[in-house]
Amino acid sequence: MTYIRTISKKMIYDAIIDAIGQIYCQSTPETIAMINNALTIEEDDVAKDMLKAMLLNEELAAKEKLPICQDTGIVVVFADIGTAVKIENGSLYSIISQAVTDVWEKYYLRDSIALEPIRCFSSNPSKTKDTLQPVILHLSEIPGNKLELHISLKGGGAENCSTLKMFNPTATINEIEDFIVDTVVSSGGKPCPPVFVGIGIGGDFEQCAILAKRALMVPISPFEKKPEYKKMEERLLNQINQKGKGIQGFGGKTTALKVNILSEPCHIASLPVAINIDCHAHRCISITI
Amino acid sequence: MRIINIELPLKSEEIKMFTIRDKLLISGVLYTARDQAHLRLTQLIKEGKPLPFNLADSALFYCGPAPTPPGKVCGAIGPTTSARMDKYTPLLLENGLKVMIGKGERSRVVTEAIHKYNALYLICVGGISALLVQSIVSCETFCWKELAAEAIYRMEVKNFPCYVATI
Ligand code: SF4
Repeated sequence: MTYIRTISKKMIYDAIIDAIGQIYCQSTPETIAMINNALTIEEDDVAKDMLKAMLLNEELAAKEKLPICQDTGIVVVFADIGTAVKIENGSLYSIISQAVTDVWEKYYLRDSIALEPIRCFSSNPSKTKDTLQPVILHLSEIPGNKLELHISLKGGGAENCSTLKMFNPTATINEIEDFIVDTVVSSGGKPCPPVFVGIGIGGDFEQCAILAKRALMVPISPFEKKPEYKKMEERLLNQINQKGKGIQGFGGKTTALKVNILSEPCHIASLPVAINIDCHAHRCISITI
Repeated sequence: MRIINIELPLKSEEIKMFTIRDKLLISGVLYTARDQAHLRLTQLIKEGKPLPFNLADSALFYCGPAPTPPGKVCGAIGPTTSARMDKYTPLLLENGLKVMIGKGERSRVVTEAIHKYNALYLICVGGISALLVQSIVSCETFCWKELAAEAIYRMEVKNFPCYVATI
């Protein structure tokens, strides 16, 4: 007989408040190390000045508990639920949404959600929530009795530079890589480079996009991947950075800090490729309850 | 990289002195405006109505601030993507706008209008809110409060760091 573990609403709620309380004022330590590295190799004086500003901002924000960016984004959560887990007192969505609403008030974060996407369809186009702030939740099952939450605060500027293309299954690696490089490079300074590039390959239309988002989350490479994909990531990172768009699109050696690819099987007629971009204000965290 | 201290409003002769990639430390008054405020400003101009402030006297900052925590001068601030304002910008430039602050590239049409009207587009590093708030002297909702973060805020700044992108 399987032992079912009950996780209370309070445990989840508290864990989310705590997790978002950590990330709104600090990028992941891995990100800060990468920005430091970008500064070390940079030769352009403006790019160096900007990278130094980013590092100083990280320090100040963490010390004074201030948001690293005014856009604390939309909250995206990947919840991997153990098959032996039961959630007590409420749906996971409502618990997360309540925690997000409360943590937003606690830290004076900006309401950045338009409840009605087509603003002129609403008599109150700046309405951001009814009582609870909307969040984006992706659920999946994992073996065991733990609940894993991968949480991200996803800003709008970088998200807007994301794209998806349904390739033919015979598309060459070069065609796919050109599409990815062009997407990142033509975004210029809009997604606040240096950026993270999350790539989904395969699945269907929506799974591909979800893979690209998941590819941005920490731990950044939790999935087994073929050496071919690792090589492709390296090639893409080099190609993107060689184009020299640089820090904030103002030139420099580093446009992207990391490229991460996730893949899934797909239909014989298709080869979907999705690119999701995140900025240097890379706010994500993984927690296990 | 040249670093230049400037006071708003800028005189036309001053704009000519800058070159691309100069770092400017700005002091003076900025008005924030994002998508919805641009929509309204444009409507007012098209209807021949007066604008809530004089475009020539200050700078537009593409920014939606976070709420101000108690005891602080302002909440988190920073630039939003300028390209979203591109379709409204030529009309604003025609009506006296001189300085814009945001992030990312502008369209060809806006770039040409910036040249034509002898205006200035500056970029400000995105994602450095904690650092930028140190340059804010005051911040208050100026008009269209119902737009919340998208309202127009009047910000007094001191040595606010930007870089010349289009001139
Ligand atoms: S892209 Fe990122 S760093 Fe830039 S404004 Fe948006 S959330 Fe902030």
